[in-house]
Amino acid sequence: MNSDSPLLVLWDKGSRLMVLALRSLWLHKLRASLSVLGIIIGTGAVISLMAFGEGSMHDALEDIKRQGATNIIVRSIKPPDDGSSQRRSFTVTYGLTYADFERFQMVSSVVGSVPMRIVDPQEIRRMQYMHRGRVVGTTAAYQNINKIQLVMGRFLVDADEEEGDGDDVGMRNVCVLGSDVAEALFPFESPLGQSVVLNKHLFVVVGVLAERMPTGAVGGSSVSAEEFNNDVYIPLRTCRGRYGERIYIRQSGARSGEQVELHQVTLTVSDMDKVRITGDAIRDLLERNHIKKDWGVTVPLDRLEAAERQKQRFTVLLVFIASISLFVGGIGIMNIMLATVTERTREIGIRRALGAKRRDITFQFLIEAIVQTSVGGLFGVLLGLGIVYGVPYAAEQFFNSHLPAKLHVMSIFLSLGVSICVGVLFGWYPAQRASRLDPIEALRHE
Amino acid sequence: MPGVVRILDLVKNYELEAVTVRALRGVSLTVDEGDFLALMGPSGSGKSTLLNLLGCLDRPTSGNYYLGEEDVSEMEDDQLSEIRSKYLGFVFQSYNLLAQYTVVENIEVPLLYQDRRLSEETQRRCVELAELVGLGDRLDHRPMQLSGGQQQRVAIARALVNDPHLILADEPTGNLDSRTSDEIMHLLAKLNQAGKTIIMVTHETDIAAWARRVVRMRDGHIESDEPNPHPNGHIALVTRH
Ligand SMILES: Nc1ncnc2c1ncn2[C@@H]1O[C@H](COP(=O)(O)OP(=O)(O)OP(=O)(O)O)[C@@H](O)[C@H]1O
Ligand SMILES: [Mg+2]
Repeated sequence: MNSDSPLLVLWDKGSRLMVLALRSLWLHKLRASLSVLGIIIGTGAVISLMAFGEGSMHDALEDIKRQGATNIIVRSIKPPDDGSSQRRSFTVTYGLTYADFERFQMVSSVVGSVPMRIVDPQEIRRMQYMHRGRVVGTTAAYQNINKIQLVMGRFLVDADEEEGDGDDVGMRNVCVLGSDVAEALFPFESPLGQSVVLNKHLFVVVGVLAERMPTGAVGGSSVSAEEFNNDVYIPLRTCRGRYGERIYIRQSGARSGEQVELHQVTLTVSDMDKVRITGDAIRDLLERNHIKKDWGVTVPLDRLEAAERQKQRFTVLLVFIASISLFVGGIGIMNIMLATVTERTREIGIRRALGAKRRDITFQFLIEAIVQTSVGGLFGVLLGLGIVYGVPYAAEQFFNSHLPAKLHVMSIFLSLGVSICVGVLFGWYPAQRASRLDPIEALRHE
Repeated sequence: MPGVVRILDLVKNYELEAVTVRALRGVSLTVDEGDFLALMGPSGSGKSTLLNLLGCLDRPTSGNYYLGEEDVSEMEDDQLSEIRSKYLGFVFQSYNLLAQYTVVENIEVPLLYQDRRLSEETQRRCVELAELVGLGDRLDHRPMQLSGGQQQRVAIARALVNDPHLILADEPTGNLDSRTSDEIMHLLAKLNQAGKTIIMVTHETDIAAWARRVVRMRDGHIESDEPNPHPNGHIALVTRH
């Protein structure tokens, strides 16, 4: 009798036992699925909660990448109507001023700053074509700070702020188009060097931007998500000249207006460690110079912290739910295995008589427990995948809310590994009990 | 050459709470290779106890048991398992097949506990054994789908799969009608003629008539030990030739 490698022999036995275990699972489908319910929920929870944690983290990082980790964004915010003076007055004046912009430069850690005036969406025309978009007055620095990619031409340059060869007031009437605007107005030809009409003035197109991802909503209600592809960029100086400081809106017949000098200033800080302090300094500065709270400071880096907190919350929830359900699942397995051992006492006796050692019996029942928990784990993975892909979709469809989820491949292996461990841990005792049965007594068992 | 089985003054006591049941009170017996021994005696005389000891399912209170060359009376549990797996085959009164397994899978079970791989070859051997016991057309049936006699044939095939030195049968025909009993006894006699050593417990004299030797027990002792000059199967096989 030649003997083979013990590992291969073990594999042969193991695979027979696995087939047996799967067969008896199939035979007792309901019973098996009830006993592994805890495992299914546990692994599902591990996969989905890890995905949600990862998703919010990923979203935040992407956002920060777009907005710049060393940037601070200061925006004008229309203060809530206090119902007194504004009723009578014609225009509301609020927001960041050119003076604020100058003050920001005094903060030593600020190494770059981009002012922006944003004129509400309006018609941008060329011949028979028309597109609605925001007009953004800004400076050359905008390009760097927002990591702007151009598909053709150039962005605004410093020279655009100087007195130019333009018309009456010596402003340079140049513009850079967002990708959607360019597409709409110049479907067939290159926009470079062509003219578009903004607010009854002709502007020469000097560049076209590549498509840009929108930024996510920042810091809850204060700033909503921003789209860029419909924007047209013109020099700040030209913007002030052409549009004036006041922007009028027609509301139910009455002409009301608002006067905002700068809608947004994006500041760049010299290094990452100083972003938070600089943000506080800027807030301080604005608090001292503004009577109303008509401004908001967003530090994209804060988003990272928020996301980390979010991820931590998910992790705590994960550990909590997973450990409870896996524990309950383990107890379920132990219970069913103990019942199985009693039910199959005679089988154990037969196997012992036919030459099975104690450890063979232990091995058999452990394999059965592991097969059960692994199958449960697999279903749990499917459940988790369903949640990871289904819930964000449903949230988007029915509640119009963004719930980021990013599947962590490791989580699949982790949860399957955990299910196997649960099988070993909770299958051990019943398997031991099975192996300790006396062969003769077991054979006599009815 | 020494006998396949040699037991010397074997004693088995069951310690109960109040009393000690002396199931075997010093039994000595030698069984030679190729023998076919019927163990008879009234209920409670210790036949099953002796057979369990011979089958290495239990350890004696005292005395010695040599199986071939090996003294198995002092062996550890794992060693006993190994002895069972290498040298012994069991046939039980109630067949004791595994309900989840098919005929071939049932025959294969003892091989699961040997240090050998399962292969095409072992698979073939199981099928051959199924054919030997006349179940070549029932390979994928489950025990539930077989008659008692057929189940006992599967059990015999299973007892043969590890090519044992000794086959132990405790009332193998106890659950069968006389016709089926005869078929089973034919099979055992055939195996014995092919050289297998068999020890069989039975209550019925016409079943014991198939054996070459009849040992009677009473109260834990061997009462008589007589050869059977004209065992049934021998004649049957001779007449068939
Ligand atoms: N596990 C046990 N615990 C206590 N006493 C036992 C045990 N097994 C057997 N005995 C006793 O040992 C004696 C012999 O029993 P055994 O089963 O060997 O009898 P037997 O000859 O096989 O009888 P039967 O023909 O009824 O099968 C009996 O008195 C029985 O009660
Ligand atoms: Mg008995």
